[in-house]
Amino acid sequence: MAGAGGGNDIQWCFSQVKGAVDDDVAEADIISTVEFNHSGELLATGDKGGRVVIFQQEQENKTQAHSRGEYNVYSTFQSHEPEFDYLKSLEIEEKINKIRWLPQKNAAQFLLSTNDKTIKLWKISERDKRPEGYNLKEEDGRYRDPTTVTTLRVPVFRPMDLMVEASPRRIFANAHTYHINSISINSDYETYLSADDLRINLWHLEITDRSFNIVDIKPANMEELTEVITAAEFHPNSCNTFVYSSSKGTIRLCDMRASALCDRHSKLFEEPEDPSNRSFFSEIISSISDVKFSHSGRYMMTRDYLSVKIWDLNMENRPVETYQVHEYLRSKLCSLYENDCIFDKFECCWNGSDSVVMTGSYNNFFRMFDRNTKRDITLEASRENNKPRTVLKPRKVCASGKRKKDEISVDSLDFNKKILHTAWHPKENIIAVATTNNLYIFQDKMN
Amino acid sequence: MSVLIVLVTPGSHITVCIRLRKVKKISHVFHFILKMCLFPPFMWCCNICCMDSCSVAWEKRKDYAKHSCWFMLGRGLKRKLSDYEENMAGLSSAFDSSRNLTYPLKRQLVLNMCLTKLQTYRMLVEPDLHRSVLIANTVRQIQEEMRQETSQQPVNVCNGIGLHSQNYPGVDSAGISAQLLSGVNQQESNCCDSRSAEEPIENGLLMVSDDDMSSAISSILKDLDFMEDISPPTCLVPAGDDQPKSPENVGLKLEDDRQELKGAECVFGSFEISNSTSYLKDLAIDDIFEDIDTSMYDSDFCCPPLMPSRLPPATTEETLKTFPTCNSSPTNNIQICRTDLSELDHIMEILVGS
Repeated sequence: MAGAGGGNDIQWCFSQVKGAVDDDVAEADIISTVEFNHSGELLATGDKGGRVVIFQQEQENKTQAHSRGEYNVYSTFQSHEPEFDYLKSLEIEEKINKIRWLPQKNAAQFLLSTNDKTIKLWKISERDKRPEGYNLKEEDGRYRDPTTVTTLRVPVFRPMDLMVEASPRRIFANAHTYHINSISINSDYETYLSADDLRINLWHLEITDRSFNIVDIKPANMEELTEVITAAEFHPNSCNTFVYSSSKGTIRLCDMRASALCDRHSKLFEEPEDPSNRSFFSEIISSISDVKFSHSGRYMMTRDYLSVKIWDLNMENRPVETYQVHEYLRSKLCSLYENDCIFDKFECCWNGSDSVVMTGSYNNFFRMFDRNTKRDITLEASRENNKPRTVLKPRKVCASGKRKKDEISVDSLDFNKKILHTAWHPKENIIAVATTNNLYIFQDKMN
Repeated sequence: MSVLIVLVTPGSHITVCIRLRKVKKISHVFHFILKMCLFPPFMWCCNICCMDSCSVAWEKRKDYAKHSCWFMLGRGLKRKLSDYEENMAGLSSAFDSSRNLTYPLKRQLVLNMCLTKLQTYRMLVEPDLHRSVLIANTVRQIQEEMRQETSQQPVNVCNGIGLHSQNYPGVDSAGISAQLLSGVNQQESNCCDSRSAEEPIENGLLMVSDDDMSSAISSILKDLDFMEDISPPTCLVPAGDDQPKSPENVGLKLEDDRQELKGAECVFGSFEISNSTSYLKDLAIDDIFEDIDTSMYDSDFCCPPLMPSRLPPATTEETLKTFPTCNSSPTNNIQICRTDLSELDHIMEILVGS
């Protein structure tokens, strides 16, 4: 059943946690992206060390009717290595910025993973049979002496332990001068876009040595630069439409049919600033960190520092819904600016039915907003609720004044524990939430 | 191995860049960028922490920044030197509590934080473009606000903090702009003529003039550009879709490089980083160093550009971008640079030990 219930009608339970237990976080283990595939059976994570770990959901166990299958490690591979750009004397980080799955067309799975500069198409395939009975080779691979061969036989395939192989099929490199922040696969499943701070390129999945530049906002004079691209995504249904968000809080919808270079937008989504909330940091907190289309394609969601906004594609002048994620931080902006937390890029996601949206916050809290009931809930990803099927207790942050029992005051929030990456299963109420180096999987309580 | 040192001295600001590059073993590329900062006392900051003295200097520099902030808030010297972050947290929470600070003081605090951040980012090998743009916009916004205020009020107010008036000559004093914060009178007065009209800054506070800020932002963004955009993407842009942003005019390259060197203080870091192969091919620059004996290194030198097909347009693009800035530098800057280049040779001989 798709996530038809509201955020509060569902009781979220702890299911699993992946990753090291200790508090000492190795830098390479920091999770940098989380993504379910189109069926939800596979869950991919990328980390700062350039590795991709894929979890697979177990088939539903008939004996354990009360829980859905667990996610276990399916494949691990090193997607990107650190590189050194000799010309500019710069190190290219191997951190995986984004992973996007391709829809499954045959037995193998394909995903795109990207670091700051290079995108790779990986094929993940299973092998559970191997040929046995070669004429010229022994079983261990040594070559037989041809003179000892007296009869011929046909090698047959026999079952073996499941082996999952990941191999890079395409490498799309050298097209981005600035750091890639987004990739998005087109609904035609043949092309995809990659966006860096100033440019967006269109690729064909089969062609690695060239790409089309479709958006370029680099000014002739870099001194005039005031805006960068922060995220981009293709429309889920229209293969000619995509959006990109900027650091000034605007979203531009472009139609590739209009011109080859989509510097002129078809629609510009921008909400006028609320003068009562104006501060020195207004522009910084208006910078959009993530943009996601709804599955239906009618709406899109943007995440800026303090809020989540839902836009109707037919209305450009303001969002249809706005949800405050952590409004209590508005009075702390200067401190957050000083410790650079104000630049944190939170992501957001829709549930399968587009009725609930989710995003992360600090202190390992994450928030869900039900669009129908207008209720919201704050939950915490922590190892304290370790037992499976333990229902998560809603959390509350006390902004000021008297702190009630069970509430947490703003000053005791841990700003180093931030949840930037979350993902929602496309069909069921299963969510994956990434803290710094751990991956939490929660699901709804099934009765 | 090729050695390039450019020494530029507008006033008391000296920027020395020594670049050693083993062409064959490109894995060792050392950048030493030693900057004499404007903050007294005299300090050296190392771009990539290779020198112990530099890390110490950096600590001292942070102390200075702390001290100025305290002073500005009227806390005097009673407070002990403590961790930079702790102190700033104290300041920013003072800001957030919004009871003790007047609006102009808050604005000044934010401005100082912004400029300190920008300065820190410049020290990084690869500054974050997104953050730099956001901070630069914030600085511009505050600057605009201050400008409007001062244009409404001819008398400087605000607790005796002198705000500079408008109407500087339209010269982009980008040479001076490499210094983000001009704190002290003497250094100001030594700057080139175009800035002699400025009022001296009082109290040694971290006050920044409008011109400084805008040119500082310009230089930061240009630096970012050069560091990043050495190779524009190889893309198929359909015919008829002109990209006026990347003109290709190789004939101007030599000229630009010469100009670039003379106005080098304004795009200093960028020149050093981006034109890694162009200057090697460029004879004009070699002339300047001809009395430096590099003959024993010349045979090692055979550097094919790593991306030959893309470099010429890129470097031209960059050099043409520097062109307006260099042109707008006052001529006395150029003369200052020329005399300093001879001093530079002398210093270089000492350093290289030849």
